[in-house]
Amino acid sequence: MTSIIVDSHRALTDVVPLVQFRLAGLRGRSRRAAGVAAVVIAGLTLAAMVVPAFVPGAVDSPQAENIVVLLPTAYLAFLVATTIALTVASGGRELLPRDEGVAFPISPTTDHLGALLLAPLNIAWLMQAWAILGATAYVVGPSGLAAAQVTALLWLVTATAVAQLVAWCVEWVRRGRHGLLLVRVSGVALALAAAGLVATGLVTALLDRSPLWRVVLVALSGSDGGWGRWLVGSLLLLATGAAAVALGAGVAHGVARRPARDESRAEGRTVSARPEPRSELGALVRTDRASVWRSVPLRRGLVVIALLPGSIAAAGRLEWGILPVLPGIVAAGAALLFSVNAWCLDESGALWRESLPVRPRVMFAARVLVQLELLGLAGLLTVLVAGSRAGGAPTGAEVASLAGTVVVVSVQVVARTMSWSVRRPFAVDLRSARAAPAPPLSMASYSAYLALTSTLTGLLFTLTARAGGPMPALLVALPLLLLAVRRLLITARAWETPAVRAQVVATVSVC
Amino acid sequence: MSAPAIEVTALSVRFGVIEAVRDVDLTVAAGAATALVGRNGAGKSTTMRVLAGVLPPTAGDVRIGGLDLRRHPLAAKRATGYCPDVGGLVPRATPWEHLQLAARLHQLADGWQEHARALLDRFELGAAAHRVTSGFSHGMGRRMSVVLAAFHRPSVLLLDEPFDGVDPLGVEATLEVVADARSRGAAVLVSTHLVELAVHACSEALVLRGGEVVAATAADELAGEDGARTYRALLA
Repeated sequence: MTSIIVDSHRALTDVVPLVQFRLAGLRGRSRRAAGVAAVVIAGLTLAAMVVPAFVPGAVDSPQAENIVVLLPTAYLAFLVATTIALTVASGGRELLPRDEGVAFPISPTTDHLGALLLAPLNIAWLMQAWAILGATAYVVGPSGLAAAQVTALLWLVTATAVAQLVAWCVEWVRRGRHGLLLVRVSGVALALAAAGLVATGLVTALLDRSPLWRVVLVALSGSDGGWGRWLVGSLLLLATGAAAVALGAGVAHGVARRPARDESRAEGRTVSARPEPRSELGALVRTDRASVWRSVPLRRGLVVIALLPGSIAAAGRLEWGILPVLPGIVAAGAALLFSVNAWCLDESGALWRESLPVRPRVMFAARVLVQLELLGLAGLLTVLVAGSRAGGAPTGAEVASLAGTVVVVSVQVVARTMSWSVRRPFAVDLRSARAAPAPPLSMASYSAYLALTSTLTGLLFTLTARAGGPMPALLVALPLLLLAVRRLLITARAWETPAVRAQVVATVSVC
Repeated sequence: MSAPAIEVTALSVRFGVIEAVRDVDLTVAAGAATALVGRNGAGKSTTMRVLAGVLPPTAGDVRIGGLDLRRHPLAAKRATGYCPDVGGLVPRATPWEHLQLAARLHQLADGWQEHARALLDRFELGAAAHRVTSGFSHGMGRRMSVVLAAFHRPSVLLLDEPFDGVDPLGVEATLEVVADARSRGAAVLVSTHLVELAVHACSEALVLRGGEVVAATAADELAGEDGARTYRALLA
């Protein structure tokens, strides 16, 4: 028992130097950007916790009553989404990438705590957290606000710890004998069960019975003087969170003792030879495409991103007119898998590739095409899945808006990410299912930017979807597309400068 | 008289305040093999990267087969085969896919496959030809990088640390590749910190220290105990 306490204490104290090490790696503009990002995130969180409480209509409007009813569902959705994100990432992001950390005695407990610490550094987590904090503030109002937000924050922490625990458990199973098959079959079974609930119309009834209304009641109890209930409930949440953190550490140790089977399988796999490529561009596209689909985190992430938002939209029976907002979210999510640091796909092979006799523009075009293909495919799949329950046939305006948003956000996102990739490359080993293409703070700022711009573009197309014909969608798409293409061409020109390429190649080839 | 296959004049490479390579002159004739030797950080790999067209020089001229590397980068790259000092393989592609890509970009006529297979077999990589390279050991990766540098029969062969972590059979195969290249008239530049192997593979040697050439000598002069003493004195 004493040794467990000593080990846990040591693991906890090890987190600090690791965080300091990561922060020390940020220099110049990146350091300033990280500082700005931290201040913005803290500011927005504080605003979400306070401002809605003072908005007209807070507490006792019909809208506030509706939000109270929906709040348990929002709390549950946060838990589910965080669990899926951490499970897909095989237990969450690493505080120190595997190849960098291999020389240091980092315990699985430290790794676990690091993953917990990094979990909020993505826009999906932050947006949901802000929504929960904002909605809680809106229904509680100024009286009892502090107590309610303490409970809401405790829920965010506890739900993340529970999600992390579930993610470790899934990873432990995945790394066992027949684990891959078991996890895949379970995943499909869960998806089918969810689809069954949606098809039979039982979702609402089930959500009404969500036990999370108790958490909401605890949060609200401070505002009506129920301090005893608030204290007990909040302490219970705290205890649950602490237990999840402790259990998660235990399972993380179990995971560390098992080899990562899917990664090992990917590294040992044999691929049938294909016919000779017909053109230079074709040969490069083929290599880049294989680099994406043979990477465990990229393949897994792409499948989830292409299917999950569409499935949720289908479950909610979103109408055709709302669907244009989805491809933007999907494109932003897919771009965060590798596009924000697109040249990292080659890793140390970048040196050899750069020595090959091919025009830089062709190499650039190949990488752009592969990303457009992935983002476009993911967007299209999302629209198809979401549209399967949208009801009725879409109008011409809706079809044009959907096509416009898929094309525009794909080009916009790729134009932006290629610019980042050329200006700020990082050395990343994408073999690990827990790998991210950039350091955590950079990922947070990338995800915030992409989510904001893609959502705005999507919203624009939801307006054109209401028009009488397809022309407004085309008129909106054309200038946006031209602007994005212009950005792509500027980056392509920069890529043709040997010194710029040399910097990118030297950076990504360190892996 | 034909131009040297590799001709470097007053080459300098600067990274910010660090001058990695300073005023290096280097000439390798067709059919000759020269070793670049020196301690870690001497500027060997930086010089090799410049010659491979991966890194632009800060100053100086580089000619590959008489072509100015700055003005004719593609033509120079077509004439060159490069084994980088680290990695050098796209992690999720197979050796055969690497060869297919290189063959297409070097515009090789159909029929290259047979030679490539023979080379893979010579380096005992035939059985792994369709395995993704991320699972390769360090030695396998090095051997594959040599295959990629040599398989299109370049007129300039640049091998950066080709013996690093490679087993004796791999070393032997690499030495054969160097000998083959020389016999068909290619210029070979081998960068290594393993002087004994450099002496074995090359006829000339350039000793680099702190980014500068401190000696240009016949490789034999660095052989044996006397050579080792000379070499150590040059590095000090």
